[in-house]
Amino acid sequence: MGAQPITGARSAVRVADWREAVRAACAPLVEQGAATATYPERCVAMVEEHGPYIVLAPGIALAHARPEDGVEALGVAVVTLAEPIAFGHDDNDPVDVVFAFGSPDARQHVGLLGSLAAALEGGLADRLRAAPDDQAARGLLVEATSEGGDVGA
Amino acid sequence: MSASDEPLRILSVCGVGMGSSLMLRMNVEEVLKRLGVRARVEATDVSSARSMQADVIVGQGLHTGELQGLAPVVVTITNFMDKDALQRQLEEALHEQGWL
Repeated sequence: MGAQPITGARSAVRVADWREAVRAACAPLVEQGAATATYPERCVAMVEEHGPYIVLAPGIALAHARPEDGVEALGVAVVTLAEPIAFGHDDNDPVDVVFAFGSPDARQHVGLLGSLAAALEGGLADRLRAAPDDQAARGLLVEATSEGGDVGA
Repeated sequence: MSASDEPLRILSVCGVGMGSSLMLRMNVEEVLKRLGVRARVEATDVSSARSMQADVIVGQGLHTGELQGLAPVVVTITNFMDKDALQRQLEEALHEQGWL
């Protein structure tokens, strides 16, 4: 169901803190027109307002803001960090894989997040950490989030 | 004996109500299916959750700390990839309530 998401990835990015990590994860969405230039700061603001709940599991964060915060099209991007950084999460710090997504409404991302969750359970984060370059990382993300993404291998 | 014919009303919560709470909703639905428990699971943000009726609230400690007492069962999770832990926590809590 729904459209294929716009995707982007960067591997082994160096950042000074979690805010830079969130901005880096969002950057491909902005570059490809899936989100406006204000979206990364809205994603940072969500964590400032609501806490580091976007850290979902040891080492893994999922940044996002609301549809009205500047989403133009369904998109998902990921950065892996050269050095893990702390988000201030009690259990799951430090983080070295940061996803960002944007959905134009409350529904279009449902399938995407379902695919992403299944792929993460299947070891996507480790495969991303091992990706040699941006293109390889993006290929893994596309495989994980396209429809019937589990089948690709 | 079953406590009720009504499905359990469950809220999965996060800060915004459309990212991690949605993933959590899918996990809760899958785990309850394994346990054979009928439920309606809704993903929501923490402030909306305060004014909603639920039998069970599931979320990260950051949020469930604010929601204690709003439902008979409040389950705190730390790792969204660990469905087995979620299943153990829900199973234990539902047993305590006589809902399983």
